[in-house]
Amino acid sequence: MNGIHDMGGMHGLGEIGYHEHAPGFHEAWEVRVFALVQAMQLGGLRPDIERIPAAEYLRMGYYERWYTAFVTRLIERGIVTRAEVERGHADPAAVKATPVVTPVVARELLFRTPQTEQDLALTPRFRVGDRVRGRNIHPITHTRMPRYTRGKTGVVERDRGVFDLPDRERVSAEPTPQHVYLIHFTAHELWGEAASAHDALYIDMWEDYLETA
Amino acid sequence: MSQHHADHAPDQTEVPSEPALRVKALESLLVEKGLVDPAALDVLVETYEHRVGPRNGAQVVARAWVDPAYKQRLLADGTAAIAEFGFAGSQGEKLTVVENTPAVHNVIVCTLCSCYPWPVLGLPPTWYKSSAYRSRTVMDPRGVLRELGLALPDDVEVRVWDSNAASRYLVLPERPPGTESMSEADLALLVTRDAMIGVAKVAAPRVGGGA
Repeated sequence: MNGIHDMGGMHGLGEIGYHEHAPGFHEAWEVRVFALVQAMQLGGLRPDIERIPAAEYLRMGYYERWYTAFVTRLIERGIVTRAEVERGHADPAAVKATPVVTPVVARELLFRTPQTEQDLALTPRFRVGDRVRGRNIHPITHTRMPRYTRGKTGVVERDRGVFDLPDRERVSAEPTPQHVYLIHFTAHELWGEAASAHDALYIDMWEDYLETA
Repeated sequence: MSQHHADHAPDQTEVPSEPALRVKALESLLVEKGLVDPAALDVLVETYEHRVGPRNGAQVVARAWVDPAYKQRLLADGTAAIAEFGFAGSQGEKLTVVENTPAVHNVIVCTLCSCYPWPVLGLPPTWYKSSAYRSRTVMDPRGVLRELGLALPDDVEVRVWDSNAASRYLVLPERPPGTESMSEADLALLVTRDAMIGVAKVAAPRVGGGA
């Protein structure tokens, strides 16, 4: 979706706030949210983070967005009710579950890299060296195609292999595996003559995002 | 993050008016419902607070500096090469390591969220997640780098990696001059997180000085 999260190339979004020794977590609750999300294994939160209204999204910190998207996910899946979240206590009539992530499972999750690449022999539509253009599409649900790539021409640098198209996650239960390509765009192509003639941008793009240029 | 939001959004319960209390309430709810095992939570918190962080990446970089065969494996398949150190886990899939040279400078950003190679760098710092870094780095990498203290000559090629799809990225910084006699372990101490994101270079050790 063309949401506020798709911010590559925007102006006016404040300060970077760079600190050389900035930690990953600033407050104790942030790591708790992070850990709760890992402990529930409900899938990536990005589609729900992107549904946060733009003004709220910009006001919130990173882990506030996680919290908000996580609660949305829990409620929409029927795992908890809004009333339970507000009270901070379970409905007395609710059946008690058994945790999926035990300490043993948690350690496995931590030290096992998920297999996201699909072992499928699909014929790639593009080859390394092909000139491709970002399609002019505006999906209203989750996509990994930033706006700034649409209509821009680049070159296939590498075939990453086959991965499920994330755009389908909220639309269909059926996975849509397809090739992902590393695309090389010149800075000139993306940002015009004012950009440095030497510079480049690389981004992974699913086959559905691309057309022959 | 000193300000709280107690006077905002009273009608939107998912927005934490006081984040710490909201999160604590959610945690106790999930534990009470038998959905979350507190001991598992402790494992996750302890790991990401103390065990996974940029020291992992620094060991990988130092090894690549002293061992050409390792460097080759790292550039060919980052995920497999970091696994030699036992580094693995979520956000380590398809790890792509990009090498800085005198002619090429790489910098990592995630415009759509804040994708980051957790197994080697831990969780990202706030500035990496800021709207300004996410929005500006793709369009004006040289300006962002200058603002962060790294001015690059015009003839150096800047490569921006927008890491929001199948891969995560790690920058292999240049080994600074004057480190020829240093051990791998001492070299690892020089490597900073920000050099592995690509917003800094690894500084040469101070002459005559310890770390």
